[in-house]
Amino acid sequence: MPALLEVTDLTKVFGGLRANDGISFTVGAGEILGLIGPNGAGKTTLFHCITGFHRPERGTVRFDGRDITGLPPHRIARMGMARTFQTYVAGGDLTVLETAMVGCFSRTASPSRARIRAREILGFLGLADLADLPIRDLPVAGQKRVALATALGTEPKLLLLDEVAAGLNPGEIGELMDAIRHVHEERGVTLIVIEHVMELVMNLSDRVLVLDSGRVIAQGLPQEVAHDPAVIRAYLGEKYAARYLEEASP
Amino acid sequence: MEALRAAFDFSDFRPTERWVSRAVAAFLLVFPLLPVSSFATATMIQFLMFSLYGMGWNTIGGYGGQVDLGKAQYVGIGAYTTAVALIRWDVPFWVSMPVGMGFAVLWSFAIGYPLFRLRGHYFAIATIAASLVLKDLFEVWDFVGAARGLEIPAHRFATPDFVRLIFKEDVYYYYVLLAFFFGGVLYMNAFRKSRLGYQLRLIKDNEDMARSLGINVHWAKVKTYAIATAFVSMVGSFHACYIKNIEPEDTMSLDLSILIALMAMLGGAGSLWGPIIGAGILIPLKSYFKEWFGARAGLVGMDLILYALIIMVVSAVEPRGIWGLVERHRARRESA
Ligand SMILES: Nc1ncnc2c1ncn2[C@@H]1O[C@H](COP(=O)(O)OP(=O)(O)OP(=O)(O)O)[C@@H](O)[C@H]1O
Ligand SMILES: [Mg+2]
Repeated sequence: MPALLEVTDLTKVFGGLRANDGISFTVGAGEILGLIGPNGAGKTTLFHCITGFHRPERGTVRFDGRDITGLPPHRIARMGMARTFQTYVAGGDLTVLETAMVGCFSRTASPSRARIRAREILGFLGLADLADLPIRDLPVAGQKRVALATALGTEPKLLLLDEVAAGLNPGEIGELMDAIRHVHEERGVTLIVIEHVMELVMNLSDRVLVLDSGRVIAQGLPQEVAHDPAVIRAYLGEKYAARYLEEASP
Repeated sequence: MEALRAAFDFSDFRPTERWVSRAVAAFLLVFPLLPVSSFATATMIQFLMFSLYGMGWNTIGGYGGQVDLGKAQYVGIGAYTTAVALIRWDVPFWVSMPVGMGFAVLWSFAIGYPLFRLRGHYFAIATIAASLVLKDLFEVWDFVGAARGLEIPAHRFATPDFVRLIFKEDVYYYYVLLAFFFGGVLYMNAFRKSRLGYQLRLIKDNEDMARSLGINVHWAKVKTYAIATAFVSMVGSFHACYIKNIEPEDTMSLDLSILIALMAMLGGAGSLWGPIIGAGILIPLKSYFKEWFGARAGLVGMDLILYALIIMVVSAVEPRGIWGLVERHRARRESA
């Protein structure tokens, strides 16, 4: 599998805090990479560095064979990388359809063509009925789904999703999972998925990368990572992890 | 082609809105044929001019959410280009107007490029400063008549002169301007449904999201600012021929800049009808207030106080202006 994204030694410092500390990994074309880690591990910061919203102090990001470190976000987006935001809350007066259209406008200048494309994308994400509502009238979970639809409108090669399942009920999580699979299979989009909903990450991901305190502490197949002592320690803390591992071992 | 169709397509408005706008358009067309005073005609010309200024302001200020308080500098550039070109080289209005728009757009790039690095209040303040600097320059620039300004020697031309846009009767000015006005409405109707129109509305809502979709936010603002500028400069050129007597103090004053922004905000920033509604309310008020009170000592500035009050009430009650009130009322009625 040729690497679509190649992150090398990425470091981002906020004051004294190393939010990303020498992170290296690759993502192959067609892969789904899960990105997990406790709160404050640096997952969102890593997305910001990859997509150009933060300029890393050290390290490089290569995308599709080109060094994109330090490029502005819109340039990176135009190369075929789209993302959603963890904290997107809409306040404007755009409708769901109009928001999705803005994504499609990155591929066409024609409003009528953008409208057709946007309707199509809203349709397969199960949002068709909401098309004419102002986006601000939707619950946050719904707004995030619209943000996903909008990102898809740019027809990305690589899509970075930051906690799109937060706040959904189990039924909705199932639907979202199907939608993401569909995006991946039908459109051949490569994905990096940040998610605290383990059911979703573990089912969806080909591979999982675990961050803690800005560092990669484990990576591998979902089952391998789930049983990695370092990961369990990061999630449960030393004391509980020791007890848990003792009990778990035969 | 699609843009042209969009310009004439008002189908997303409610039937009542379409009927009201048709009625207003019909009224504007026949207005000069009614038995009205010359004062009323002059007021209507002001209304049309300010509607157009407001439409220009609305692109960047309304749809783009960048409060611009320096539009007067572009009125000045248009007015001076036309006046200087006519007085010195006898250049027809129809040439000097687009040339003026070109100058204004170039100046808007010089101003907009650095200023759009600023946000919120800093941007608004910087636009004021830029406009005042240009006004000060014009006040000492002899080539354009410095502080005395310029006077177009209208008596030298045989009227009606459609090439130089010199008329004796206001009715000619009225119809020329009305054509601009209808053109402006059609342009704005296409603009709000264009790629840039939608992109701006997302930028206003969430700049980071806009960036992540490949939009060059800075460039989108600079471009929109140039469009706003072109509108304003065009009307500035008209203003020169209509008023015939221009000086920096009235074509480029802070009052004018603020009035343009206030009107659009009062009527409803970010809506097609907003600037027209705002001008339709404030211009008659302003004219008649001047007429009634302005001359009397001690009462000068009554109009200023009045519209300061109006804008305070509006921004406290509904920041989206009168049109916002209408929409809110409608939403409530529909959900009931
Ligand atoms: N702009 C910033 N300035 C200063 N510190 C920041 C900034 N952004 C993030 N941080 C800090 O960097 C660390 C990593 O934050 P980040 O948002 O990347 O974590 P995360 O893994 O996405 O967490 P969560 O799961 O809660 O979303 C945190 O300690 C956070 O407080
Ligand atoms: Mg996060």
